[in-house]
Amino acid sequence: MFFDLNVPVHHPQHSSAQISKKNKGKQAQQPAEVTYTPAQVAAVEARLDLLVHLGYTVVALNQTVQTAVVPKVHVNILENLIQQLKPRPGIVILKRLTIVLDQESEKGFGLTPANASIFKPYDLIALVPTTLSTLSLACLTHSQPSVLTAHIIALPLTLRLDFRMKHTLVRTALKNGTVFEINYVGALGGENDTVLVEAGAAESGASAKRNWWATTKEVTRLTKGKGLIVSGGVVAEADLRTPRDVSNLITLLGLAQDAAHSASTSAPKSLVLRAQTRQTYRTVFSDPVLVIPEGTMPTPSVTSTPTISSSDTRSDKKRSREGEEGEDEPPQKKGNANGPENSSRKKKRKKNAQEGR
Amino acid sequence: MVRFKNRWLLVEFIPTSNGSATQLDGYKIWEAVRQSVLNNFGDVGWGSIGLSINVKYYSPTTNICIIRVARDHHRIAWGAVTLLTAIEGTRYIPNVVHVSGTIKQTQLAAISHNREVIARFRAQAKTSSAYKDSYEEYLKTSAMEIEALHD
Repeated sequence: MFFDLNVPVHHPQHSSAQISKKNKGKQAQQPAEVTYTPAQVAAVEARLDLLVHLGYTVVALNQTVQTAVVPKVHVNILENLIQQLKPRPGIVILKRLTIVLDQESEKGFGLTPANASIFKPYDLIALVPTTLSTLSLACLTHSQPSVLTAHIIALPLTLRLDFRMKHTLVRTALKNGTVFEINYVGALGGENDTVLVEAGAAESGASAKRNWWATTKEVTRLTKGKGLIVSGGVVAEADLRTPRDVSNLITLLGLAQDAAHSASTSAPKSLVLRAQTRQTYRTVFSDPVLVIPEGTMPTPSVTSTPTISSSDTRSDKKRSREGEEGEDEPPQKKGNANGPENSSRKKKRKKNAQEGR
Repeated sequence: MVRFKNRWLLVEFIPTSNGSATQLDGYKIWEAVRQSVLNNFGDVGWGSIGLSINVKYYSPTTNICIIRVARDHHRIAWGAVTLLTAIEGTRYIPNVVHVSGTIKQTQLAAISHNREVIARFRAQAKTSSAYKDSYEEYLKTSAMEIEALHD
């Protein structure tokens, strides 16, 4: 099971003619209407076909936003696109939002509970910090478990970072469950996502490759290979590589073979599962269910064990408000010695649970 | 005994949709890999694998290539193949299908890969299974050529 969690997708109406030097730094005005021409959809389909051919099974389409998420201007370009894609059995397509943080984002960039509805449809949120203060924001504040956790920190690898990354920041982020992302397109000197280039977060060319090796080695050293994922970020078709080749490339950074392999398989897998907690209430896997233990309510039976159905102790994702089913299990397990009494106990327990709620 | 150990890389060059695919051969691939090693790993990299790297086989029909490198630094050669972007101007996606230490395993992997690719061609052409096309002959000749490889 191989993951490519960064397949850049652009706004269909966003053309390079709209970018002028005046707008650099400000959020480019995106037209509210998101319609994809058949040619654009076909291009995305062809890219997905190629990814599947190379062996990737889980793919995340990535929308990149510069500086801040402005609720009035923001459009979700992925919803429309995914509905138009043909169904592929066995392939999972996820939605990801990347926010490029620069100096102007230090005051705030829209990842607040007030805007939570904008972020809900995205499966993954990523941040690209370009300054030390935005890095500390990303590592400390936004890695806290919540509905708005940014689980991926993708440092701009092709830039020459003018700040030293602090080990304590990285350690806190890893402890909270965020991962650091390595985009292999920088090693090839390939074309980067245009939004990143506009934001000044990516370069291509000879110096880009050197910076990539330097920064990636630094990231590998700080994370000790544990919270790393590898993804594409590939725009041009010819820059795609198979997962095994990418693993080997990561080995050349000084990472051990098993760490390199897990960076493209198990680490992104657990990341995607962890990111699903954003869809739940307070990032606990499902709503807590109140159960009245046996002894506190007046019932004829005394010998039954209290059921524990608080979801924190169980990793069963699908348990929603079905506490009643859990309560039914212990009476059945005890055996059918007293048939009618058993059923009366069940009924009483159900009644009690409903009263207690 | 200090035996000289090798790694055999089975590489497929997937042509991208843009540009016409010029006819490749073993020497062009070797030259492209050499340039890639020099660009990405410098003289040190080329020095560690340069004497031992050999392109043993290339088939234009399925774009499959067998490269032999010394085992100690084969990852440098593998990385250089991955970082290759173009050969003689046309862009390719290099895909290392199989890596092994013996020629026998590489031969088996190459033959089964050829069969998969031919099966894919045939499925796209949607011909009936009784139809005898030139692929059958190609499979036989390529299998013979691959079997004829030696250390």
